Amino acid sequence: MKRHSIEPRPGWQDFAKSVGFGFHTIDNEPYWDESAYYQFSLQQIEQQLEAPTEELHQMAIDLVPDILANEQYLQQLAIPERFWDFIAASWRNGEPHLYGRMDFSYDGNSPAKLLELNYDTPTSLFETGFFQWVWLEDQLMRGQLPTGADQFNSLQDKLEQAFAQLPLARPFYFSSVTNSVEDKGTVDYLMDIALQAGLDCRYIQLEQLGDIDGQLVDMDGFPINGLFKLYPWEFMLQEDFASTILTSKTQWLEPSWKLLLSNKGILPLLWQKHQGHPNLLPAFFDDKQPITAGWVKKPLFSREGANIELVTSSGQRLTEDGPYTDNGFIRQALAPLPKFGDNYTLIGSWVVGDSAAGICIREDNSLITKDSSRFLPHIIVD
Amino acid sequence: MKLSNSKRSQKAALIFMLPAAGLVLGGCAEKQVQAQVFSTPDECTAFYNPPAQCQAAFAEAEQLHPQVAPRYANKQECETDFGSGQCETAPQSNQQGSFFMPMMMGFMAGQMLNRGGLAPGGGQQASQQATASGRNSVPTQPLYKSRDDRNTFRTASNTAVASQPGTTNIRPSAVQPKAASLARRGGFGAQATQRSATRSYGG
Repeated sequence: MKRHSIEPRPGWQDFAKSVGFGFHTIDNEPYWDESAYYQFSLQQIEQQLEAPTEELHQMAIDLVPDILANEQYLQQLAIPERFWDFIAASWRNGEPHLYGRMDFSYDGNSPAKLLELNYDTPTSLFETGFFQWVWLEDQLMRGQLPTGADQFNSLQDKLEQAFAQLPLARPFYFSSVTNSVEDKGTVDYLMDIALQAGLDCRYIQLEQLGDIDGQLVDMDGFPINGLFKLYPWEFMLQEDFASTILTSKTQWLEPSWKLLLSNKGILPLLWQKHQGHPNLLPAFFDDKQPITAGWVKKPLFSREGANIELVTSSGQRLTEDGPYTDNGFIRQALAPLPKFGDNYTLIGSWVVGDSAAGICIREDNSLITKDSSRFLPHIIVD
Repeated sequence: MKLSNSKRSQKAALIFMLPAAGLVLGGCAEKQVQAQVFSTPDECTAFYNPPAQCQAAFAEAEQLHPQVAPRYANKQECETDFGSGQCETAPQSNQQGSFFMPMMMGFMAGQMLNRGGLAPGGGQQASQQATASGRNSVPTQPLYKSRDDRNTFRTASNTAVASQPGTTNIRPSAVQPKAASLARRGGFGAQATQRSATRSYGG
């Protein structure tokens, strides 16, 4: 695993804009950064990232029935009791799931350590599946990369396959929060792929979803029988339409049982069941004590690095503010992100259905990866 | 060239995210398509349509009826538009009390019913229309009759479609059913507003 500088493609910003990737630069700071890339060996990709991703995914899935059968776990994960039966039914009925991303601390040598599962509303999908793929093809064509360079990125192929094979309601609706350009970008990309797979897709703003007699409806008042929502389950369960969720005949993507896995509480539960697994970090439910050197404190529900507190082995304390203080916390042993130059590097590893589907790389100047962290492309060279 | 055993997608193509791709529309005016209008499934069968298909189209329209029929706050207002004894109670709404709606007086079968090739050209047209979808086809739907015009079949949104049973020509865009607009909205998204610190609600 190495970091190489490279000349950005001339005019890539115009191309980005033309394909709806307007958020490549945010507040004048680069988000998509192609001034460098990471290089992996095939062995690193297949043995140290792809295989552990699929194994950890299976371990997480296997925990779902354990959690549903144990009230203490459901309470530790802060799942509202009113929805226990609903979530259990979604699991029992085998409601299909589409995708997820796990985040790793990995330096190219020691085993990748699982930091968390983003299994409900993972983003940076377009950047991974499309934009980084095109970057590789372009730079190969321009002769800027070693001949035969590959990329661990079967995301779009696997998503298209999933949309073609999953038993999904027709038409199938996609929804995101109105004021998030970035989330709309993610949803547009998913709809584009779904369309290519032959699905009848409709978009509706999350705030425009309607309720008629407990059934979720579209703008014309027609029942929504299938909905992809880029909006966290734990939010939906607290909002005005929470009771609509219980009565509406709607197939959800992700299904509600994914709420159990997108929860940081899954980390202590994984550790309890698989203590010492090379890809897991020691993790525990919060005991309300201040964290000490070598530990990280994370909210059960949080996104983009918000409300994370960590103390390095030398005792330096780092905190990230945020809006997620209303539920419990966990603590996890610190696996500091590897440093390449001045950059701390995080690896996101995608899962579609139950298969590993590629990686994305985020860089930050701090040990805590945030929504402002830069996205860098990667290649595989053997 | 990429190798077939590579670790990346065979293709990563976009269709509607590309500039203006979604805006390419056919340049010609909307074509009329054929639909059939009947008061009852029996009348539909009397027009040499297969009874099972007549029954299925009727059932589909009947199911749509409570969703699309115009709603009135009281029976009197409903009967002013649709005639005495021509209104019924709409399905109970949890939030808003009871409503009234006109009775269904007929149905429109959107896709031509399969008459086993008896009608000239009917079979071919049926298959062509069956493959059409979305806004290019006529959805099967309930029909109504107003108090002052008992001959004309009208859609729930008051578009006159025929004055006698049988085949009629329709512009699909004129007869897309709209459900009664009684939905509550805005029930999701509050947390996003409260936690406006993030620019994405994914992660």
